[in-house]
Amino acid sequence: MSIVPKETIEVIAQSIGMTNISSDVALTLAPDVEYRLREIMQEAIKCMRHSKRTVLTADDVDSALSLRNVEPLYGFATGDPLRFKRAVGHKDLFYIDDKDIDFKDVIEAPLPKTPLDTTVVSHWLAIEGVQPAIPENAPIDVISAPQENKKLEHGKDDGLPVDIRLPVKHVLSRELQLYFDKITELITNKSEPVLFKEALASLSSDSGIHPLVPYFSYFIADEVARSLSDLPLLFALMRVAQSLLRNPHIHIEPYLHQLMPSMITCIVAKRLGNRLADNHWELRDFSANLVASVCKRYGHVYHNLQSRLTKTLLHAFLDPSKALTQHYGAIRGLSALGPSVVRLLVLPNLETYLQLLEPEMLLEKQKNEMKRKEAWHVFGALMCAAGTCLYDRLKMFPRLLSLPSQSIWKHKGKIATTLPNSKRKSPPSNNHCPQQPSLKKLVDASIPITQVASNMQPTTADGFSSIASVDPAMRPSTSSGGLSNENIPGGNRRETSNSRAPKTHSVLAQAWKQDLDAGSLLASLFELFGEGIFLFIQPVEMNVFL
Amino acid sequence: MDDEDIEKVLFAYLKKKGFWQTERALQDEQIKLSSGSQAGTALSRSERGPALYNDGYSKLRSWAYSSLDLYKHELLRVLYPVFIHCFMDLVANGHMQDARTFFQTFREDHELLYLRDLQKLEGILSPSHLEEMELARSLRQSKVNIKLCEYSYNLLLQYLQKTQSFTMLEVINEHINFEVTSGQPVSISDDSEVMALVGSSRDIAKHVNQKEVRWGLLEDFEERLEKTLSDSEKAEGENKDNDVDDNKQKRSAEAGKQGISSKKLKKDKVVGAIGKGVRSETSTVSFAPRVKPELTLPIMPTEVEQSILDDLRNRVQVSSTALPSVNFYTFVNTHNGLNCTSISYDGSLVAGGFSDSSLKVWDMSKAGQLVKTASMQGDSESAQNDHLLGSDDGNRSYTLFQGHSGPVYSSSFCPTGEFLLSSSSDSTIRLWSTRLNANLVCYKGHNYPVWDIQFGPFGHYFVSASHDRTARIWSMDRIQPLRIMAGHLSDVDCVQWHANCNYIATGSSDKTVRLWDVQTGECVRIFIGHRSMVLSLAMSPDGRYMASGDEDGTIMMWDLSTGRCVSPLLGHSSCVWTLAFSCEGTVLASGSADRTVKLWDVTSSNKTTKMDENKGSSGNRLRLLKAFPTKSTPVYSLQFSRRNLLFAAGALSKSC
Repeated sequence: MSIVPKETIEVIAQSIGMTNISSDVALTLAPDVEYRLREIMQEAIKCMRHSKRTVLTADDVDSALSLRNVEPLYGFATGDPLRFKRAVGHKDLFYIDDKDIDFKDVIEAPLPKTPLDTTVVSHWLAIEGVQPAIPENAPIDVISAPQENKKLEHGKDDGLPVDIRLPVKHVLSRELQLYFDKITELITNKSEPVLFKEALASLSSDSGIHPLVPYFSYFIADEVARSLSDLPLLFALMRVAQSLLRNPHIHIEPYLHQLMPSMITCIVAKRLGNRLADNHWELRDFSANLVASVCKRYGHVYHNLQSRLTKTLLHAFLDPSKALTQHYGAIRGLSALGPSVVRLLVLPNLETYLQLLEPEMLLEKQKNEMKRKEAWHVFGALMCAAGTCLYDRLKMFPRLLSLPSQSIWKHKGKIATTLPNSKRKSPPSNNHCPQQPSLKKLVDASIPITQVASNMQPTTADGFSSIASVDPAMRPSTSSGGLSNENIPGGNRRETSNSRAPKTHSVLAQAWKQDLDAGSLLASLFELFGEGIFLFIQPVEMNVFL
Repeated sequence: MDDEDIEKVLFAYLKKKGFWQTERALQDEQIKLSSGSQAGTALSRSERGPALYNDGYSKLRSWAYSSLDLYKHELLRVLYPVFIHCFMDLVANGHMQDARTFFQTFREDHELLYLRDLQKLEGILSPSHLEEMELARSLRQSKVNIKLCEYSYNLLLQYLQKTQSFTMLEVINEHINFEVTSGQPVSISDDSEVMALVGSSRDIAKHVNQKEVRWGLLEDFEERLEKTLSDSEKAEGENKDNDVDDNKQKRSAEAGKQGISSKKLKKDKVVGAIGKGVRSETSTVSFAPRVKPELTLPIMPTEVEQSILDDLRNRVQVSSTALPSVNFYTFVNTHNGLNCTSISYDGSLVAGGFSDSSLKVWDMSKAGQLVKTASMQGDSESAQNDHLLGSDDGNRSYTLFQGHSGPVYSSSFCPTGEFLLSSSSDSTIRLWSTRLNANLVCYKGHNYPVWDIQFGPFGHYFVSASHDRTARIWSMDRIQPLRIMAGHLSDVDCVQWHANCNYIATGSSDKTVRLWDVQTGECVRIFIGHRSMVLSLAMSPDGRYMASGDEDGTIMMWDLSTGRCVSPLLGHSSCVWTLAFSCEGTVLASGSADRTVKLWDVTSSNKTTKMDENKGSSGNRLRLLKAFPTKSTPVYSLQFSRRNLLFAAGALSKSC
């Protein structure tokens, strides 16, 4: 019925030593206790309001008690709101988590820091009705007004060539200078990863750092140009660039021209880092994604942004004299821009390029271990690009997938099971079939999927027959998958691919056309990459099965 | 003649005439009747039990909800008073358990509108509480007025008679006064008026609100100001004769005063001159009639007057199109201890009252310099700086005032910034000199914590509000209060002087705002409409309007002369701690616990009301101009400087 049941009264009575309280008394007392409680709370809320707070504290209750000339409750005084814990096993029973404190600990503990004294700081919340974007103010959702202003200014500049502006002296507040110094120091000495993470978070969310953007972009450009051999620094710089780009409150567009070259450098530079162990591939991937995101975000503002970027990348990609690392970067960069770019620019050159790449990957022809590794990286990147592109195509034609892919599943399962045997011997035996090792690698990486696949083996028989009837181009794949154990079909397949070469080339060249049959694209890609390419059609496959 | 006498006579007559049978029949009937009446009363007593209330109310409720749409909202209004009185009757009759279940069953219906009242009433657990709780007592003592149109009234009566629900009829008769109006039912938008079911009966409010309020500006001071100004800027503002004529007509219609048009003309010119061309709707000040001060006001030193005039000349025009700049003073490291802030009229001094009984004053103009010199000249100067500050331990940036023995709840600067008042939970008020950095006087008079304190517009006088349900007027030179304003039914939470010093307004926990005559100490207006405790008040500079903000975030604009709400301003989601009008009265600023400063356009509404007054409609809304969110600082106080720069202050609080 009420908040205070009579049992509570009985318990309280017992706790203060009155054991023989009758239930009638308790019953009469209970409502009155509740009323008094409510009264105290009402007064406490008044005190809270007049202390300009919205959270009730123990102090408020104490003041309310003293208003009623009641002794305050001792032992609850804290500046913070009390933390209640729920009692285990009860839905609505709470208690204050009060830990026992050993006096020894208190005495032996070092003196706590003196709390900082209250101070008043002043800032402009609004100037003539407009909130300035300074760190003290809450972040503004979108900077719309400044953009408009800038546009207006641009328009003016175009119309009035006479209006030459004197260079504006840019005054940075002391706080901002400190901030900038601190951030650059964090970037360059990399000793405090936690703090650096905080700094990145601040860069990506703070509304007040707009004045610093030109300094940061200059800093990034400068440092990238200067320290190409310092991989961690480059990585840090790219992360800073990413944070700045992410920040919704700053207006980074005017400084993109300064940032883009450094980011592209981090994709296609010949050498990044000075040690062999440096994982510059990761940096290239990261920067490629970053550049792609810039294109996505500002592409509509700067129409030639993407075209210039792709031109640069394509140039790096198609120049045989460039190092493989540069090729790798270019491929990653292009593929990050989306499947359609890959279709348009990479696929037509794919076959020619692979012919060039092939000797580099073979043990016999390329003795340098380093170079061969690089070649494999490039090959992987190419396959990844082609694969995503294919995946994208196939997504549009789910119908087409339903039959052929079934079979693909199956022999992939087999590959997974058979590969361990062939792993050792395949490189020497498969001289003219460079695809195998990479294929293995990829399959190994996707073990969970292959397990799923192996469960589906019972349907194998249907798959075989159906594929044979539906798509002739698939046949080599099925056979090779099924028999890869013996490595017999190697020569066999090579023949087919040779005989089909002209056709393959034309298919790839035409790949950008929307109406091109995805099936034949798949076939030609398969010619070039082998089974590895099928990995990219799995997700769709799953849908089909589900 | 008694009934018995008549009976005797009757029986004697029957005997005499020999109507034996008639006599017997009469006797039989009499016996039956008496026993029947006894049974009847017994029955009714047992029936008066809880079930009757419960059934009656639930029937009435379902009937009201299924009534005609046109009359439904009127009939629904009847439910709430019936509900609470049924509940209280049940409690009074001792049916605690049933009262509880009754309350819980139907509570939801009314939660939306009367949540706070319900929370209070919920606490009533025994008949004695009814006597003790002021809300319940006043509710039971007074009758509620409900406006109904004739047809709804008839509907209600018919229903009650047809269904024989006498319990409900009894409750309604006992506690509700119906004002039956002929014609159409009242529109829903007027509900707000009826909703405030305050203890004080509406009659009193109505009666009180009949009194005249002379809300005009002071003759003397304003006149002097405008004379000086017009002298200095005579050259400007020749045209605009048409406008002046218009204004004159409007004004004379409102003020009904004669022989001021010449003054008026001057005034208009002045406004035009100040406005620097932007002279659109900002001349509200000029509409105000002139009144004589009822208090003997302190004489202003000429240099102070000069500085005020200076400020007036340099004033930036603020309107809906030209928004003010806002300077925010953030208190950091307050450790949850800051209770109040106040800002001097020129914005240079900021005072903070803390729960550790201390009062700290920062001189913001000096603080900036100090930082600069310290940073520029280095350590060699620091010693001197300490000396300048004149405090005990050198590196303090503020002046510490200690003297109170309880949390400081409010502080107020006098217009010149020379004195500072503070009020505390120790029920005293202290006067401090910011020149001497010392306590001058301790005013003891209240018996309970003093919630709010405010200096009058001309200094010298000040008013305090306390938990003891009174507001008191004091002058600096006396330690006893000059007037005690008693009448609120609960704590007086905030006070505000009228621009002409003749009135003060008080906001209370009883959800009303009252206007008091300073000279007589009488209540001249009761403003009913808030649904929770009133936390802040502001008077428009032309003296005609008042704004009040409450715990729920509602701000109401009141017309002082009619005592009506012009329009509620909805937008804040939490307590409105502070309100301030711009110097022309065109923009209202509000600061709230929801960590925003909001600016409201007040001119549009005033204009429309002026036009609408004839038609008698009041459905217009004031416009929200702009909201400035702070990072995580609730806004404790706002102050427009004389140059129309808005100062705001608040304590940085951890987001929780």
